[in-house]
Amino acid sequence: MSRLRGVLTFIVVAMLEGARGVAAEPTHAEEAAFRAAVSQVAAAVVRIEPVAGAAVAGAAGEEAGVASGPSTGLVIDPAGLVFATSFAVPDTAREAVVVLPDGRRVAAKPLGRDEPRGIVLLKTEAIPTACAVEPAPRRSLLPGQWTIAVGRGWSAAEPSVAVGILSAVDRGWGLAVQTDAAVSPMNYGGPLVDIAGRVIGIVAPLPAEPAQMMRGTELYDAGIGFAVPLEDLLAVLPRLAAGESLAGGILGIGYRSRDAINGDPVIASVRQGSPAARAGLRPGDRIVAVDGRPVRRVADARHAVAPRHAGDTIDVEVDRRRGGETIRIAARPSLTATLPPWRRAILGVVVAAGDDQEDDAPARIDWVLPGGPADRAGIAAGASVASIALLGEAQPLAAQPGAAQPGDDAVEAPSAAALAGVVAGLEPGQSVRLGVRRGDQVTTTDIVLDEMIQQVPDEPPPPRAVAGPGGGADAVRVSRLGGADVALPPLVVIPPGRGPVPVLIWFGLPHGAADEAEAAPWKAAAAAAGVAVILPGSRERREWSADDIGGVARAIESLNALRPVDTTRVAVAGRGPGGAFAWLLAERLGTGCRGVAVLDAPLPARFTITDAEPGTAKWMLLGGGDDAAARRRATDSDRLARAGHAVGTLTESADGGPPTALLCRWAAALGLL
Amino acid sequence: MIAKMPLCAAAIVALLAVRIGSAADAPSPQLVAATAARSVVKIYGAGGVRGLEAYQSGIILSPDGRIATVMSTVLDSEGIDCVLDDGRRFEATLVGVDLRRELAVLSIDATDLPAAVPAEERAAAGTRVLAVSNLFGVAVGDERASVQRGVIATVVPLEARRGAADAPYTGTVYVLDFTTNNPGSPGGAVVDSRGRLLGMIGKELRSSAGGIWLNYALPMDEVLAGCEAIAAGGGSPPLVAAAPPFDLGLLGIVLVPDLLDRTPPFVEAVLPGSAATRAGLASDDLLIAVGGRAVGSRTAAERAVGAIPAGDPVQLSVIRDGTVVDCDLGPRPAAAERSTPQEAAP
Repeated sequence: MSRLRGVLTFIVVAMLEGARGVAAEPTHAEEAAFRAAVSQVAAAVVRIEPVAGAAVAGAAGEEAGVASGPSTGLVIDPAGLVFATSFAVPDTAREAVVVLPDGRRVAAKPLGRDEPRGIVLLKTEAIPTACAVEPAPRRSLLPGQWTIAVGRGWSAAEPSVAVGILSAVDRGWGLAVQTDAAVSPMNYGGPLVDIAGRVIGIVAPLPAEPAQMMRGTELYDAGIGFAVPLEDLLAVLPRLAAGESLAGGILGIGYRSRDAINGDPVIASVRQGSPAARAGLRPGDRIVAVDGRPVRRVADARHAVAPRHAGDTIDVEVDRRRGGETIRIAARPSLTATLPPWRRAILGVVVAAGDDQEDDAPARIDWVLPGGPADRAGIAAGASVASIALLGEAQPLAAQPGAAQPGDDAVEAPSAAALAGVVAGLEPGQSVRLGVRRGDQVTTTDIVLDEMIQQVPDEPPPPRAVAGPGGGADAVRVSRLGGADVALPPLVVIPPGRGPVPVLIWFGLPHGAADEAEAAPWKAAAAAAGVAVILPGSRERREWSADDIGGVARAIESLNALRPVDTTRVAVAGRGPGGAFAWLLAERLGTGCRGVAVLDAPLPARFTITDAEPGTAKWMLLGGGDDAAARRRATDSDRLARAGHAVGTLTESADGGPPTALLCRWAAALGLL
Repeated sequence: MIAKMPLCAAAIVALLAVRIGSAADAPSPQLVAATAARSVVKIYGAGGVRGLEAYQSGIILSPDGRIATVMSTVLDSEGIDCVLDDGRRFEATLVGVDLRRELAVLSIDATDLPAAVPAEERAAAGTRVLAVSNLFGVAVGDERASVQRGVIATVVPLEARRGAADAPYTGTVYVLDFTTNNPGSPGGAVVDSRGRLLGMIGKELRSSAGGIWLNYALPMDEVLAGCEAIAAGGGSPPLVAAAPPFDLGLLGIVLVPDLLDRTPPFVEAVLPGSAATRAGLASDDLLIAVGGRAVGSRTAAERAVGAIPAGDPVQLSVIRDGTVVDCDLGPRPAAAERSTPQEAAP
């Protein structure tokens, strides 16, 4: 009966409204609902005006991703706390102007920022006219539901309305939700509300990673808008209100897998001095949970960590092999905003690259740097690495099962890639306990790592002579790379032996197609160091041109079909115009190139020097030219070294030809660990 | 309670009749779209070079062939073709233009055309609308114009620029929350959920405030006023020239020198005995608004004061020590007279 009465009441009300011609038809009902939702928040929505001169003076604002016009803000506390975007109030701004719905202007000061989310908290005088806003629970959000973006960028007096649906609830590694409501810089900072007027989030121009955008404003009329969930911001409101600026949090680990999404979440390197190192995480650990959320692949871990800030402490659970069994370790790293600058440290060994990236065979030491740490410890080439353990580091928490002793928790029988990962996290002066196997015998030695060397050692690492699955030959051979469709097939000098080879690409004077005679001086050096040398031709007879770059990138792929390429040892070198071109190519190859050597070719003005990081650090050799060139070289060398790259000297060969022996020795030693 | 039931049921029956009646008044979106599209014409003319489109949209305003559209290079043509919703093609004559509203009226030789029904009042933000236009020229041959949906985002005065030049129209527009800023869309119809014509999609423009492309429509009352003016032969009222920048020295304000394009309007000095001194302005004040409108640069400030008619009050807002201070400088002097003969204070 009571249900019937309810139904009757509903029908009567609906029909009365229908009689008034307001809400009977769905379109009108929706229209009324949009208006009602807007009215729930309108009194808390304010206009934000940039203050001229508060930002860096100049007209480049728009280019710098900084608002040149009005946008929007949301009053989160009538005592005078207002959320806006860093787009509207950049961190160079000392103040902003908030325009209240009644047209009154009040001054605002930035208190704190959520840097990854691009949100700033402003402090103004009290705004008693602002209404309270209710956050929409993030868990309740579903793609497809109505979303309404409310702004005051157009007019302080009248809120603007843009209606759409929620397109996604998880964007930018969990930083934002997505909407198809038409949001523009005029809406940034304003609320995105649900149909009940609850605030889903603050509209913000987040960059969309796959679209390769520098900032998020490019998408304003593309049906793609983002909002930072209000719940996430309320969680940090006390810190922002206290004047804190929150940076993204860094853990300081690298994964063993190259697959950044589906790869196994096994830690390859733990950066020295990083939160992960201080919390006792080790190379070889498999992450199984972060903050209680299960982690099965690399992407799970990233989703869990990306929304967190520097200063946040997270709970990380890892599985670790110890003494033949797997134990569960809990660590509580406190994330930081930056990592200490990285300095490349070496054991002084070159290990044989696996025949492919997934090769699990224990790393075999091909060569020991004379006088290097491994040499001093009496380790000789030919042995394989049985284990590596970090010494003198923060220990896992005492509460963990079987408190570890120094040298415990070794990575057993690391592959070449795994060993490189461990070494990448270490710094000069740090000690490791290295187990080396020769035959059935394992000897354990403590080794203090050295700083990376700058000059090419006189003794080259020996060429690979062992049999492997890769194509091979007994003598050095010269071939052309590329099929019939390649206009100027480069020459390649391939050393004898099998398995992955280091690659050196040499650019001499531009001269048109590569000539067989050019290969002759390289044969001996290539064979002695076991390095493949690619000699490209130039499309133009008198200059290297951008057209030649694509050909070289393809040449490396073609070579890979003849003989596997050791991707950790790819180098480019050149003289004069060829040297200038080598810089260009190095930049284009990015992390695919680990060394640049040039004669008489200064660093191009446009060359971007990126700070050396594990996996991207390069070894440069500079030389040649007159006195003026030498002065310039000193400056270049200083800039590269300050960015953390190794910089050595390249000397001309006595006969005026390319310094083939030195370059091949260098290319072979590029993978020095 | 039970005794009341029959009465209640009778009431429901009675109300149902009303309900059905009102439902008939609120047509379905499909019907609205179809009706609106009948009044929209595709216009083809000059262009096709230098990236300019040779097509746009228009709205039939009278059964005898009066068509409203936007003034554009498309109309700079010997033959302007109008393709009706039913596929019929007519050569149109340009009746006249309204330079301020950038509006044109065309005429075709036809009768009994399905003229649009204008709304009697303006719509408010949040109103659901449909837009019908020849967007991107995708409606080829006798195909019907394209229909889009969205809401009116806001109803505000137009502050826009086309290239570097300001748009001549500064009256009210409907800002739309969907993309109508497309080739071919200008001249198209924006109708409400009952099919009443609310406005005409305007020309491609960028907002001078936010620098974003504008999706907007000229409200119907402005369109009709423009058409009437054109019909009366006065369709081209002289454009009001932009007010010249005002020498703020006449109010006793010395701003920092204009070294950059967008020099912030900081007060460098205030002339003794001037209106500025009396109003309490001080050096190092940062001018943020004139008459309640934001000014982001020295040039903008000078223009904003220039736009105030002589004799009207000059109200400035400045930021001083992190606080907004409003200053009333009294009536704006005419450009010729100085408020004070004194020299600038050191």
